[in-house]
Amino acid sequence: MSTKPPPATHRLGPQLGEVIDRTRPLRFTWDGAPHEGYAGDTIASALAAGGVRTFSRSFKYHRPRGILTASFHDPGCIVQAGDEPNVRAAHRRVEAGASVTPQNVWPSLRFDVRSANRAVSRFLPPGFYYKTFMKPERLWPTYQKVLKRFASGGRVSATAAIGYFDKRYAHPEVLVAGGGPAGMAAAVAAAEAGASVMLVEEEYDLGGHLRWGGAEELAFLAELRAAVAAQPGIEVLTNSAVTGRYDDNWVAVLQRGLPQHRERLIKARVGTLIVAPGLIERPYVFEGNDTPGVMLSTAVRRLIKLYAVRPGERAVVLSANADGDAAAADLERAGVQVAEVVDARRGGDVVRVRGSRSVAEVELGDGTKVACDLVVMAVGWTAPTGLLNMAGDRPAYRPEAARFLPGESLAPNVLAAGGLAGDGSLDQLVEHARAVGRRAATGEGAVPDLEVHAHPALFRGRTHGMVDLSEDISSKDIVAAAREGYDSVELVKRYTTVTMGPAQGKLETVNAVAVLAEATGRSIQATGTTVWRPPHVPITLGALAGRMFEPVRHSPMQSWHEAHGAVPLVAGQWIRPDRYGDPGAEVRNVRERVGIIDVTPLGKLDLRGPDVPKLLNQLYVNKWSKLEVGAVRYGVMCAEDGVVLDDGVTGHLGPDHYLMSTTSSGAATVWEWVESWLQTERREWRVHVTPVTTAYASINVAGPNSRELLGRLSDDVDLSSEAFPYMRVRTGSIAGVGSCFMWRIGFTGELSYEIHVPAAYGLHVWEALLDQGADLGAAPFGVEAQRIMRLEKGHAIVGQDTDGLTQGYGAALDWLIKLDKDDFAGKTELAWQHERGGYPMLVGLHPTDGSVVPDEASQIVDARNHIVGRITSSRWSPTLGRSVCLGFVARHLTEPGTVVTVQLPDGRRITAAVTPELASFDPEGVRLRG
Amino acid sequence: MADPIARSPIAPLPPLVLRDGWEVSERRSTADLTLADLTPMPKLLVRGIGALRVPFGRAERDGTTLVIGSGPGEWLALGGHPRLEAGGELVSVVDLTHGRALLRLSGAGAGSVLAKLCAIDLSERTTPDGAAFRSSVAKLVTDVVRDDCAGTRSYLLHCERSSGQYLFDALLDAGAEFGIEPTGADLR
Repeated sequence: MSTKPPPATHRLGPQLGEVIDRTRPLRFTWDGAPHEGYAGDTIASALAAGGVRTFSRSFKYHRPRGILTASFHDPGCIVQAGDEPNVRAAHRRVEAGASVTPQNVWPSLRFDVRSANRAVSRFLPPGFYYKTFMKPERLWPTYQKVLKRFASGGRVSATAAIGYFDKRYAHPEVLVAGGGPAGMAAAVAAAEAGASVMLVEEEYDLGGHLRWGGAEELAFLAELRAAVAAQPGIEVLTNSAVTGRYDDNWVAVLQRGLPQHRERLIKARVGTLIVAPGLIERPYVFEGNDTPGVMLSTAVRRLIKLYAVRPGERAVVLSANADGDAAAADLERAGVQVAEVVDARRGGDVVRVRGSRSVAEVELGDGTKVACDLVVMAVGWTAPTGLLNMAGDRPAYRPEAARFLPGESLAPNVLAAGGLAGDGSLDQLVEHARAVGRRAATGEGAVPDLEVHAHPALFRGRTHGMVDLSEDISSKDIVAAAREGYDSVELVKRYTTVTMGPAQGKLETVNAVAVLAEATGRSIQATGTTVWRPPHVPITLGALAGRMFEPVRHSPMQSWHEAHGAVPLVAGQWIRPDRYGDPGAEVRNVRERVGIIDVTPLGKLDLRGPDVPKLLNQLYVNKWSKLEVGAVRYGVMCAEDGVVLDDGVTGHLGPDHYLMSTTSSGAATVWEWVESWLQTERREWRVHVTPVTTAYASINVAGPNSRELLGRLSDDVDLSSEAFPYMRVRTGSIAGVGSCFMWRIGFTGELSYEIHVPAAYGLHVWEALLDQGADLGAAPFGVEAQRIMRLEKGHAIVGQDTDGLTQGYGAALDWLIKLDKDDFAGKTELAWQHERGGYPMLVGLHPTDGSVVPDEASQIVDARNHIVGRITSSRWSPTLGRSVCLGFVARHLTEPGTVVTVQLPDGRRITAAVTPELASFDPEGVRLRG
Repeated sequence: MADPIARSPIAPLPPLVLRDGWEVSERRSTADLTLADLTPMPKLLVRGIGALRVPFGRAERDGTTLVIGSGPGEWLALGGHPRLEAGGELVSVVDLTHGRALLRLSGAGAGSVLAKLCAIDLSERTTPDGAAFRSSVAKLVTDVVRDDCAGTRSYLLHCERSSGQYLFDALLDAGAEFGIEPTGADLR
């Protein structure tokens, strides 16, 4: 293999308007071999300058593919650049040191074994995969392996660095999609009228078709560029594309090539959208039209004028319009021998092209055969109406112009400009665009009409050829599909996959519709097109994802937990300490000495106002009118269907002032539930609710030494059992921090105090507790140890020991539900539940073999293998030296002592007995009330 | 026992100093775009129809106190005690000094940074100086006040306390391309 790049045999001398910088040569590799280009070259133009003609192999038949359009949409120029697959080589600028390789070739570009598909092509008609590779099912893995070899697309690297993708919101008053002369003129006019403007252009430079025009057009382009630059209100985004227009002008823009980001998605709410994409040149359908060397006239002009590349040696030009004629003139000026200009306006035609790897000869309509290596087509234009369609318009086909034009139902905040809107001289189109820009900015001003010029309707010649070069669908395939009954355009699309390639129909749809119309004897208007959907251009998954915004919540003691090796537990948005070491040891320390746990995520709602007791009575199942100041009560909330919603304790802190606690996971739900009642059901109640969950760091100090420990840190609160009994709340200072409150409650079943400290002092108090309590055995315990202890005490956890069907009585709450209250949420349903009975109940369960800890959610079954319950909570109890569980069992099995059968996930069955109380440890609560 | 130290949910960048009992950052950045943690500022939530006159969606200064109309019949007063209107409705005042994290994003590029995280139209015509709104910033419910300083665009952002570090990090991440720097705050 050569180590020197091939000579630039096809590079021309300086061209007016060229975008290459001849002072900056770049080296890169193509298919392993070194190549050279200039800064400003695209990958394809740099390769073409060195005489490369084949860039890829086609999808199904692996036919060689070359340059067709020399633009972003070129179907044959999709390559792998380093780690990046599916790079548009005819658009992407070449980079120094890049390693570019062809896609979809095996073993090589020159010799692709899979082109043998051509030999069996009659067995691979469109839709063949709907009829094959189905049976037998056991061969699917084999089919997969084989098909993978033949599937197209590049390689995704498993080791490539993860890119940085982010998004941006924008609110431009005017967004112009397309930076050609019309787009630029509209943007300038809108900015002059005072609007903020975003101008989005697919190419790296503004200018559209003016860029490859003559001296006059280039001079005008310079004026327009200067006018845009002079407007500070225009934000120009080049190498970017509008990917979709959604309801109410919500527009997605894909911005590429930023220094730190490969692609950025901009979500814009646009005042007025101006669609000015220009027209896309359409390929002609004939035998051999996909051979390397067959190009569009715009491709030829781009190669010559922008990149100073000679597209071939000897050309035949099929021209139906002035652009085709101009391309022929450009070719001659570039030193290409123009053997023949076939005028389609006078009936001239191209019948077929011959040549296996590259064009060798073309057969004309009059029968003559001309040897050549370049065939140039200029047979017409396709209007890319996608954005208009997305805005609700139905563009209409105009047979005299052989293209679609905007319809009548365009939304008032979407306007069309440039070639999309009509025809005319450059001056006429620019004047029209300026009027559109003014109207977009101000809502006023008349927009002149544009003429529609006649153009010959040329879609398919006399032979069958490729309609979709990406999907390898020929016109013959479309005719066959119609014959099979797939005769509507939507069916043909899905059956043959025509227009479903990377260009998404921009180069294929009109030809496909024309062929189908011909095959079914209908007009193009009657056949219609498929639906245009976003994205208009491909967009990476990274750009769609953007930054992963996942709010995280940390308690004030988080840094301490991390520094002391706490195993993190993800609980919703919170990160909590699950354990610091052995949870069993933590449990023992709490039951024997004293432990502290960070329970900051516990929901806390500050309730103020004279009507708070009414609220509490309405939302809790028990009674609240007589809760004195300084007292705390446990309550359970049920929803209107009687299902247990949440539980917690609420304390009466002072006159018209209560603090409600909820479960950690229920904090937001309960707040919304409370606000919903106050704002909609009982608007006359005077209550203010403020969530203060994170305004306080909450610490549970639990264990026989907890009173002693807290006493060392609190001067102004009498902690004696008489002064501060169980289920009371006191306010005071802890470790020098004022405005703390503490209540005596007991989730763990030990003497314990839940202290709530203004959050900024959380870490200070936590450290003071451990420091002051060292000789008392003070140590932290985590969520897991707390779960074990509460289970030993039989305390249910809402959402774990209850589910979406557990109504109040089923959760063993009959002692709490006060049906004699006037009204409360869920009362009707609970009364009915109580009356009808027969519901499954939550009970305590001890496995007969205390060494077996059944998995949570293990089913409980009866003798006939029916499910009669399940285990909801299950742990090994270090305190009791055996397993303890909570679970639901059918009503007839709830008698204490009843033995039930538990089926473990591995299929084993064990027995367990219903305990007399939910609590397995200290059911009288002696330790709590000390 | 050591004197209590108050800490923000946002880890302060060294050098650290103790000011009014709060552990804060002494760092002062001279960058054009800065992000400062103002969490130690006193914050009071005032509820009650007609309790204050600042309209919903606006922020106004009452002396050194910034009163933000954050919701109907709801205000957040930053930096001091607002003077309440006398009236018959229930009025409550809850101290949320510890319950909210508060940041200030300052610089000509402040709007560009926020536009990467928040879908609200930040243009002059929609969100001028003194505008207050509550929206999603990096998927976090956040209150935003445009509070320009000496002609330089500036935003106050506050969220519930435990997500303060997350919001701070999200703003630094979004501002990296504009050269944002964290800075200590003069708490006024």
